[in-house]
Amino acid sequence: MTRTAIGIELVGAVGLLGLLGACGDLAGFGGAVPPLATVDVQVTGDLASVQIPGPNPPALRVALVWGAQWLTEPLCILPPDDPSVATLVAAGCRDAFGFVPERVATNAPLAADGSAQLALLDLPAPDVMVGDVTARVAYASVVVYDDRDGDGTLTFGRANRLGGRENGPPDDQPTATVDVVYAASFASMTEPDTRLAFREGAFNQAAAFYPRSGCGDPLPSFSIVSAGGFSAQEALAAQLQGKLPPEDPAACRESSTAAPVSLPFRAPAELHELACVERRTDSSIRYREPPADAPDLTSRTIACAKVPDFGSGKANGAIQLAISGRSDDSCAGLTHYVLRGCRNDALCELPAWDITATPPSWWPCPVPAVR
Amino acid sequence: MWRSAVLLACCVGLPRTSRADDAALLTDDTWRYRSAGDLVVDGGLVLGFPAALPTGLAKGVGAGVMTGRQLAWGARASWVTATESSLPWTVTHSDLRLRVAGALQTAAGRGTLGLRLGLGGTLVHESRVRNQGMRAGLTGSDLESSAFSMLPAADLDAVVALHVAGPWLLMMSGGPTVDVFESKLHAGWSAQLGVAWQP
Repeated sequence: MTRTAIGIELVGAVGLLGLLGACGDLAGFGGAVPPLATVDVQVTGDLASVQIPGPNPPALRVALVWGAQWLTEPLCILPPDDPSVATLVAAGCRDAFGFVPERVATNAPLAADGSAQLALLDLPAPDVMVGDVTARVAYASVVVYDDRDGDGTLTFGRANRLGGRENGPPDDQPTATVDVVYAASFASMTEPDTRLAFREGAFNQAAAFYPRSGCGDPLPSFSIVSAGGFSAQEALAAQLQGKLPPEDPAACRESSTAAPVSLPFRAPAELHELACVERRTDSSIRYREPPADAPDLTSRTIACAKVPDFGSGKANGAIQLAISGRSDDSCAGLTHYVLRGCRNDALCELPAWDITATPPSWWPCPVPAVR
Repeated sequence: MWRSAVLLACCVGLPRTSRADDAALLTDDTWRYRSAGDLVVDGGLVLGFPAALPTGLAKGVGAGVMTGRQLAWGARASWVTATESSLPWTVTHSDLRLRVAGALQTAAGRGTLGLRLGLGGTLVHESRVRNQGMRAGLTGSDLESSAFSMLPAADLDAVVALHVAGPWLLMMSGGPTVDVFESKLHAGWSAQLGVAWQP
């Protein structure tokens, strides 16, 4: 075969390849994105029986909300000093065992038959996962809400706290949310719950992040898990023993995300905290210096409470003025005023402010002796 | 002082020693070249724009064989790959470019300048992986997929070849490329740097 003949054959073969150039099925970055997990939701019950009338017909949507690791502040969990403090705690503290939202993962409209499908396109971010990279977990609650602000997602509110003296620029972020929560698969650890879990690596049974002690481990990656709940008394008793409150194994369930999540409509008053985020999640308190002029205490509950020192005696009778949010606020929370202290510690050795000698005229609490 | 003297002696003395060595690596014939043949085989590293990805830099290797003098023809092939990511996807494209080529070229001193037109197809292999899918437990087609497609394509390259020693040349080429992807023209570029052998 001559070199020319070989060349002609080569040209023909390569040219044929080019002519074959039919459209392929390359997708590149386009095309449908398969969800990482899909959660089927079925809402039961009668909305009309719990509905809060609004200006518009309800626009019910379903949100998947990742939970925050949150600890309540000491004043809300310790035995109250007197009835006024007990009243304050009832008015200004959220459920110490409740689900605290951190972030909405996804939203979907609720169909007329009460069904919805939530497609998760992203994994939970590390800040909603608890544990190290070898064993960490995140939990989410399925929340049904009336999207009254029409932004297509569950809008969170937060506690409406009062400002302090020389406390920096005013906090102008909105604290109220108009969205109304009508159902949640996971509202509190003190009642039966069903939650979406995302587990990566092993599972730490000793972790106290929305614990399900006595239940099986969540399945690897996404799964639906349930628990029967425990009482607050059981939780406190277990805590004193250094244990986690046990769940009833009969009420436990661990299944794949193929299992639908069923949840009933409930009164919004039982669920409003599902739309409230917390700025501080480690039980620490931000103390404020009381302003010179009396703050607006309309429809707020106040109490003079001892600064907790957990029996160390360091407080030496120091008193704080604790003030709840307004009764019509979206979210509960306390404002703490002390005459002497620091931003993060009312008992600090070198106080950032000390006005015990010149308390404001409106100060309703006993004034400690000047140091 | 004596150290400086030794160093000076080495600098002066060593070249004399080399010149006296009959088995030297470099001689006057070293840079003499010959270009008697019509056949040129070349190969080298290739950079270019992926044939079917909207972004990225494809890297790989290429080779070709051309025959002829002022008017040359031949065949070329190159394989390049590029990996790029979006939020949901990591996409790897491997392009196998097959071309028949014709070139107009002229000699200039030790070099050759040419303009080369290549026609043919680009066989694209696509591999897509769903980001975070493995951590989420996805498997099968939900996690990854692959596809092949042959795209009609053409290249226009400016070619510079420089005779270095004996039958060996340093060869550079580069220019625009175009292919037909999803019924649309998709423009790009490619460049190659390598060596050629001209017996």
